[in-house]
Amino acid sequence: MWEIFSEHLPSLLIGQYPNGPLGGLALTLILSVLGLGLAFPLSIALALCRTSPYAVFRIPSTVIVYMVRGIPLVMLVFWSYFLVPGLIGGTVSAFTTLVVTLVVYQAAYMSEIVRAGIEALPRGQAEAARSLGLGYGRTMKEIILPQALYNMLPSLISQFISTVKETSIGYVISVHELTYSASQVNSALLTRPLEVFATLSLIYFVVCYSLTQCAQIVDKRINRRRTGAAVSTEGNSHDPVLQGQ
Amino acid sequence: MIQFSKVNKWYGEYHALADISEEVGKGEVVVVCGPSGSGKSTLIRTVNRLEEIQKGQIKLEGVDVHHKKLDLNKFRTKVGFVFQQFNLFPHMSAIDNVCLAPVKVGGKSKAQAREKGMALLDRVGLAHKAASYPQQLSGGQQQRVAIARALAMDPPVMLFDEPTSALDPEMVGEVLNVMKSLARDGMTMMCVTHEMNFAREVSNRVWFMDHGRLVETGKPDEFFRNPQSDRAKRFLSDLRSH
Repeated sequence: MWEIFSEHLPSLLIGQYPNGPLGGLALTLILSVLGLGLAFPLSIALALCRTSPYAVFRIPSTVIVYMVRGIPLVMLVFWSYFLVPGLIGGTVSAFTTLVVTLVVYQAAYMSEIVRAGIEALPRGQAEAARSLGLGYGRTMKEIILPQALYNMLPSLISQFISTVKETSIGYVISVHELTYSASQVNSALLTRPLEVFATLSLIYFVVCYSLTQCAQIVDKRINRRRTGAAVSTEGNSHDPVLQGQ
Repeated sequence: MIQFSKVNKWYGEYHALADISEEVGKGEVVVVCGPSGSGKSTLIRTVNRLEEIQKGQIKLEGVDVHHKKLDLNKFRTKVGFVFQQFNLFPHMSAIDNVCLAPVKVGGKSKAQAREKGMALLDRVGLAHKAASYPQQLSGGQQQRVAIARALAMDPPVMLFDEPTSALDPEMVGEVLNVMKSLARDGMTMMCVTHEMNFAREVSNRVWFMDHGRLVETGKPDEFFRNPQSDRAKRFLSDLRSH
């Protein structure tokens, strides 16, 4: 197993780069970051539509979210594979197809996380902001989203972990990500599938496990910040109201 | 200053406010009291349009509050609102809570807003807590910051929705002291509160509500000594027996 590891590890990590296209784990991570990064603003927009009092925004966004959540990821890959070239009237690389798929898929799922984050905040937060004269947009930007997104950080990291694993669907449309690279190594070796795919699993596991740990640390920090910070009474001797003003 | 004329509000079938017609004069301190569910919080929330009304009219300094074309955000800077649950923004320090509206709505520079904000925090006795976050403050301190925040746009009217109901008893006094000093400075105030001592000492008039109706209004001395309606008599005797 060790020979496979040492000999083929570079192609699993970076593909043929620099002598050929970038691939392997590097491409997987790039796909994940791109997918989630582009899906993020879209998911906020979807969540705002979903929580909007206006049906014009609420109904279409709800339909989109339910439709995307109701079909398997691989179906979505096929849809963008055939639909996107038709829509923009040109050829589209497999890489772009996969990014589009991931963005649509993740935006739908993440918008539900964002929506839950918004709805979990006490109603008084928005009321207080509106009472001060802040409009809907400012209230969202200054008051609601900063709190909701902060509370959502652990869920967002989990979502990133899912995305890392979901990029493996790129295999079916020949995107040179990690799974595809591993299958190429396997084809070259022919007789060692167990070792190759064990190595593949191990790489996914190491990446995802580290990210999970990261999510837990963030979660703990957030909880500490919420519950800790006990009421400090020091310095109240300066308090003229307590002194009877 | 604030005129209610035939104000009506329904939640579905439930008649939350029924034909409220009264007026709060300039510089007047009105305490709105009544049993829970009587509509007093709903009434005060209609004044800055946190609640809509279905019939009638509310005018504040001559402005029709529920007019469809009203610039609501601009209007709301003229009405300070203090909530039962404080509703400070937990991701901002005390001073940032106070400075938010002047910077984002009033278009003031950060430095100007900060100077004014510090003066307001000083007025509620919390200048030394400017950098603290809400979760580091006691309930009474949070409510005082909330009052400073509501004052930041220099509103001519302040509304208080049960400002001391969520507080531990030992913290009620510090909030009432701040409210008293506001009243002394001539602020027009409408306060929903169960603090009958505050009503007696500070208010010019008491409005008593029940079942969405304004049952009786009067000067605090008269209201507490000699309430006219049976409902108010029962309410006051219930209060005293606690």
